[in-house]
Amino acid sequence: MFDAQTVAAVARARAEYEAKVAELLGDAGSAPLATQSGLPLKPLYTPLDVPTLDYLAEIGFPGSSPFTRGVHPAGYLTKEWTRRQVVGLGTAEETNARLRYLFAQGQTGFSVCGMGYQSYDSDDERTVGHLGRGGVWIDTLADMETLLDGIDMERITLNQIGSSLPVFAMILSVAQQRGIPLRNLRGTIQNWVIPGGEGPERRGNGSIDIVEFCSRGMPLWNHTSISVRNIRDQGCTAPQEMAFGLYQGAYVIRSLQARGLGPDQVAPRISFFLSAESDFLEEVAKFRAMRRMWATLARRLGAADPQSGRLRFHVQTSALALTAQQPLVNLVRSTIHALAAALGGAQSMSVNSFDEALAIPTELSATLSLRTQQVIAYESGVSKVLDPLGGSYCVEALTAELERAAWPIVEELERLEDWEAFQKIEQWADDEGYRRQQSIDRGERIVVGVNAFQEGSDGLSPEALPLFEYDPAWRDKQIRRLARVCARRDVRKAEEATRRLADAYRVKENLVRPMMAAVQAYLSIGEIARIRQEALGEPAFAGPLYFGR
Amino acid sequence: MSPGLKILLAADTAGHTTGYYVVARGLRDAGFEVVLGGHLVPRRIAEVAVEEDIDAIGYRIMDGAPEILVPMLMDALKAHGAGGVPVIIGGIVPPHLIPRLKELGVREVFTPGAPLPAIVEWLREHCSV
Repeated sequence: MFDAQTVAAVARARAEYEAKVAELLGDAGSAPLATQSGLPLKPLYTPLDVPTLDYLAEIGFPGSSPFTRGVHPAGYLTKEWTRRQVVGLGTAEETNARLRYLFAQGQTGFSVCGMGYQSYDSDDERTVGHLGRGGVWIDTLADMETLLDGIDMERITLNQIGSSLPVFAMILSVAQQRGIPLRNLRGTIQNWVIPGGEGPERRGNGSIDIVEFCSRGMPLWNHTSISVRNIRDQGCTAPQEMAFGLYQGAYVIRSLQARGLGPDQVAPRISFFLSAESDFLEEVAKFRAMRRMWATLARRLGAADPQSGRLRFHVQTSALALTAQQPLVNLVRSTIHALAAALGGAQSMSVNSFDEALAIPTELSATLSLRTQQVIAYESGVSKVLDPLGGSYCVEALTAELERAAWPIVEELERLEDWEAFQKIEQWADDEGYRRQQSIDRGERIVVGVNAFQEGSDGLSPEALPLFEYDPAWRDKQIRRLARVCARRDVRKAEEATRRLADAYRVKENLVRPMMAAVQAYLSIGEIARIRQEALGEPAFAGPLYFGR
Repeated sequence: MSPGLKILLAADTAGHTTGYYVVARGLRDAGFEVVLGGHLVPRRIAEVAVEEDIDAIGYRIMDGAPEILVPMLMDALKAHGAGGVPVIIGGIVPPHLIPRLKELGVREVFTPGAPLPAIVEWLREHCSV
């Protein structure tokens, strides 16, 4: 970026500057600095840290490969990031009420959690004390109809958290009921594509089927949202988060080749679901570096269409960084996380609520999360300038540093067998999570309110907060509702759909259409799991919601 | 120090395991024998505690309602003649519920941010083989 003469002059001036600093610091010098992920950090960056940076090749312009500065030419000027708070509580009724409430507050998209995480129905023993507490409970299509009631699916995009094929089929079925052609439907499914359980072997869990179905007939649906946010919350580092995501993206592309789909048919609708942690500069650099790497990786995998190399991502801010102590302080943390996501060019965002280390968010805390996004979008001014930190010596140097740190991890994973690689990811994340806790316990890593500044105004204590209260009546209500739906459905249609789905499992055809027929006959998720189990002779596999375990 | 202290770690769901595994490792490294029960309903926790001759139970509650699950566990333990096994709760527990859980016989509650050494110390002090 700089000519030799400038570099030499800056080097001389830097030497003088460093001498002055050394004098101020005295004999002790300064301790080596590092980012949260342990990457080397300097107290000051100059052109000497990015002397050979090739602007057009490595950074370029927004909307053009390698997309370091963003995937849209006009950034947020023409398309704001989607305010997509996670919602999921109680039965479909309670979640629908919360969705409508948040929509009225300016939310523009939804992530719904809890749907089909389990392969049993509401009347199972395992739902006691749980139903509707870790997300919304869905038994049948009737619940999905209620959940989406009054929600304009053509205007508000839905993100299905998890991998449940029956739930995916229910969403498509509601769209069909409303006369929306699937070809025009926009939205996202998280969809874990992992080896064995849901891999190209077609063991009947449907993740690959979903990707195939969307790639052939639903061009606007993001069929895979590579979620490495949860593994980051397990405690792994930023370069690991990047590498794990990139590796998994490559894995999806490779897996679909067995179905005759090339990289350019699959990659454009792969999106990513990332975290935003507290080391602000590292996080901004992470998003930039990851975009650049995905552009490279997609090409390497044989993608010719530049669209395939556009890394689009949703951010859900870190939960690991939030504390049960002095919970209101989490508002400040989440704001830092969300600001990093905005400066990093996120397409969509969910800001965690300040009370999440204590309970499910209340309406108040959920609203404050949305307001955090709105203040950043409309008051801070950062959304007016594309990649405003691009060109900062520090951020460009860190972007390169993160890329350098992440590639060897991607390459190591690619050398392993698929299953082994996925196990390795778990193991590395667990190791880092443990190290992280130890560094907090030893006081090497400061967490305000936890291992420092523990005393404070009484108003900061968790006891001072109004928290969400669980209603055990939700379970009773849902069980009654399931019984009602089953009693009213067309028995012959249900039997036909059962046979069709069982056949689809046995002959290993794409499961999406038969699953749509099954949910449209109002078969429940538990019944569908039993059909699968009988057809395949193996236990139902709901799909891991949270990576691996 | 209580050598050989055997602790069952159970969880109310299969996901959200960060804290679960961090605590498991911390206890193992402190010399405890850790049985990873994973996701178990209260009835199964009591059964496993008896089968495995457990000295203390660590129950991670994250998505579930502690005020519902804990009484179920305490009843199940009593029904299995294991009412004396100390139960420690970890996870997402609203502060106002903690006194209620202790009234039910829960010995201690550790919420996010609890340092590993504090958990280890507590077990050494309050549980014995």
